[in-house]
Amino acid sequence: MDLWPVTIMRRTALLISCLVIHLGASDAAQAQRSAPPPVRSDQHVEAGGQPPPAGTLRNPFQGDQQAAEDGGKLFSAFNCDGCHAGGAAGAVGPSLADGRWRYGGTDGEIYHSIFYGRPRGMPAWGGTLPPEAIWRLVSYLKSIEPAKDTSATVTW
Amino acid sequence: MFRPQRWAVLVAALSAGWNGRGAAQTGSGPGRDDGQWTMPAKDFASTRYSALAQLTTGNAQRLRPVWSFSTGVLGGHEGQPLVVNHTMYVVTPYPNVVYAFDLTKEGYPLKWKYRPNVNSAAIGIACCDVVNRGAFYADGRIYYNLLDGHTVALDAASGREIWKTKVADLNIGETTPMAPLVVKDRVIVGNSGGEFGVRGWVKGLDAETGKIIWTGYNVGPDADLLVKPGSFRSFRASGTQLSLNSWPKEAWKLGGAPVWGWLSYDPKLDLVYYGTGNPAPYNAEQRPGDNRWATSVMARDPDDGSLRWAYQFTPADNWDYDATQEMILTDLPVKGKVRQTLVHFDKNGFVYTFDRGTGELLAADAYVPVNWARGVDLRTGRPEVDSTKLTGVSRGTVKDICPTLEGGKNQQPAAFSPVTRLFYVPTNNMCMDYTTANVSYIAGTPYIGAAIPYKPGAGGHLGAFIAFDVTKGKKIWEVKEPYPVWSGALATRGGLAFYGTLDGWFKAVDGRTGAVLYKFKVGSGVVGNPISFLGPDGKQYVAVYAGIGGDWLLLSGDVRSDDPTDVRPPASFMPDIARHTSQGGIVWIFGL
Ligand code: HEC
Repeated sequence: MDLWPVTIMRRTALLISCLVIHLGASDAAQAQRSAPPPVRSDQHVEAGGQPPPAGTLRNPFQGDQQAAEDGGKLFSAFNCDGCHAGGAAGAVGPSLADGRWRYGGTDGEIYHSIFYGRPRGMPAWGGTLPPEAIWRLVSYLKSIEPAKDTSATVTW
Repeated sequence: MFRPQRWAVLVAALSAGWNGRGAAQTGSGPGRDDGQWTMPAKDFASTRYSALAQLTTGNAQRLRPVWSFSTGVLGGHEGQPLVVNHTMYVVTPYPNVVYAFDLTKEGYPLKWKYRPNVNSAAIGIACCDVVNRGAFYADGRIYYNLLDGHTVALDAASGREIWKTKVADLNIGETTPMAPLVVKDRVIVGNSGGEFGVRGWVKGLDAETGKIIWTGYNVGPDADLLVKPGSFRSFRASGTQLSLNSWPKEAWKLGGAPVWGWLSYDPKLDLVYYGTGNPAPYNAEQRPGDNRWATSVMARDPDDGSLRWAYQFTPADNWDYDATQEMILTDLPVKGKVRQTLVHFDKNGFVYTFDRGTGELLAADAYVPVNWARGVDLRTGRPEVDSTKLTGVSRGTVKDICPTLEGGKNQQPAAFSPVTRLFYVPTNNMCMDYTTANVSYIAGTPYIGAAIPYKPGAGGHLGAFIAFDVTKGKKIWEVKEPYPVWSGALATRGGLAFYGTLDGWFKAVDGRTGAVLYKFKVGSGVVGNPISFLGPDGKQYVAVYAGIGGDWLLLSGDVRSDDPTDVRPPASFMPDIARHTSQGGIVWIFGL
């Protein structure tokens, strides 16, 4: 069991460095400032604390269509789709495509969900993904959010 | 055991054989039944046969519910209650509450309730809902697994925790929904996580203290598999390092082959049998080779775990055909001679009969429509694969493979009646399209690489409850069901078979004809397994859980109503199940 984590980290690192190259340097610097310090989900939760206020975080890619598309690719490259299903329709993890959010649906709150993880089975990605990758994922999820719908969820 | 959705990724006592020979230990031969249900499958042989005969084809119409209890838990209620010393023990899905009901008092009040503190991170790591497949009673103790990788022993009388051992590691994608098997002084447990690139194992714990005595891996070097010189045989393959040499370098370390199903035991041969799950990842082109011993049956010595024999059902599995389904131990005639047989209804659509002493394959027949293979060559022991149904990234989308990765059957265990000599088998009737992708391993996340939509199989019904004569390789009758039959089966000496449906019916049928004699709507889809027992009043009862879930949590669309933030579109192949059921765990008892 000693060898594989190394190869894995290398593969992940490669993927991430491709992404970072893709970013402008100032872009990355700004994204860095908009990120909280990495904490694992379980530490965070067992510390008994509420997540730090998320509203102050700004998505550097707000409204950037390309970032949303890149985020869609990251969504499968990092196996998010393994838990949330393709299109984020919901599987083991909840649907992220229904416009409803357990932990809030602002860009900052979604960033927190991904960065810190959430207690009922959402891994923390803050140590694995750089902030700009997380923001791209946020942009992707926001881009598939449906318009508000108040009709019955199913009818026959 | 994953199911994907739309375009989504994703997702013995030996039964006294029919010839009436040899019931041992917790006897369940014809005419002998102590009225208890102490282990998941009634007996070590995994027959799920009750020799109680008060309920018959003549009076089943008069069955009625006599008691029910809400578990307060919404996850899929797989598994079954136990009844020991007039106490009923119920284990819920995560958060794995145990209830002990006093059957001697009116209304069956609680004797005790045990609420473990289970790590909620397990919810995301369990591939297919947060199920638990039940507890095992032995020597005054209840043994069971928590979803987050712990095995627990409780005092059956008081509910006091005697020991709790960490056996599995959530951080690498391992969970533990399976039911332990307790043999002599060993508690034998296995890990889940074939969708997370775990490396499958079984562990033997000291029943007294909970200490891990041995760990036997299913894939990798002989030493890790506990292959001891001279004691192991594979009926056909010879040589050493049979597992190691069937994988590309290192791939076995993430090779899957988990143990999330049922275990059996033959006290005479002193062998424990279980099946292993899929090799990881689903994309077979990332792991060229046979990938032994994924999708296999394993026979081990319970004392030290040493591997005695193994057989692989689906070499180089291309279709997620786990082989974790139960191994039913009974003695059947093969070519005119009664053999000590092991019968296994595999996810891959074939039912296999072995000599359980030697591992010799004696027969293999399709029990549901199968098209990925034309049959199984008994000479070589290998399936005759239709190469147009092979999958992998280079093959693009491969259409119309039957059965699906839900299997001809899945976790839902079959029953065997020594009276009718038939196996009662809950089955699925669906086919799939299979698209694979290269996938990177990230610890604690799914390691799958596939998108696999389903469609109804021939006839349009998605499931059937069937009676199968293994000695003839023939289906005798079937009850077609609109949805997959995901509950287990129960056979009784009174000539009845029981099962439940995904749309929430509990049914009693005539074991010889399949005629439905009684049905009752139990409030939620049934994915648990019926049991039968004698009450303190001397009367025969049948108990079962309602509570849709398991793979169907992921596939049923809008069946969860506890979470205002999770609304799912219906699955294309099963658009209307949410019309008939919603989540919710209820224990039911039926009697006359
Ligand atoms: C191991 C399975 C798993 C993986 C992998 C996973 N998630 Fe999750 N995710 C979950 C679960 C389970 C929840 C619900 C957690 C809770 O309620 O506490 C969740 C919750 C979330 C939420 C919060 C949803 C809400 O309603 O507030 C977001 C956003 C999210 N995930 C995004 C992602 C992204 C992006 C990735 C990939 C980088 C990812 N997830 C990978 C299982 C997973």
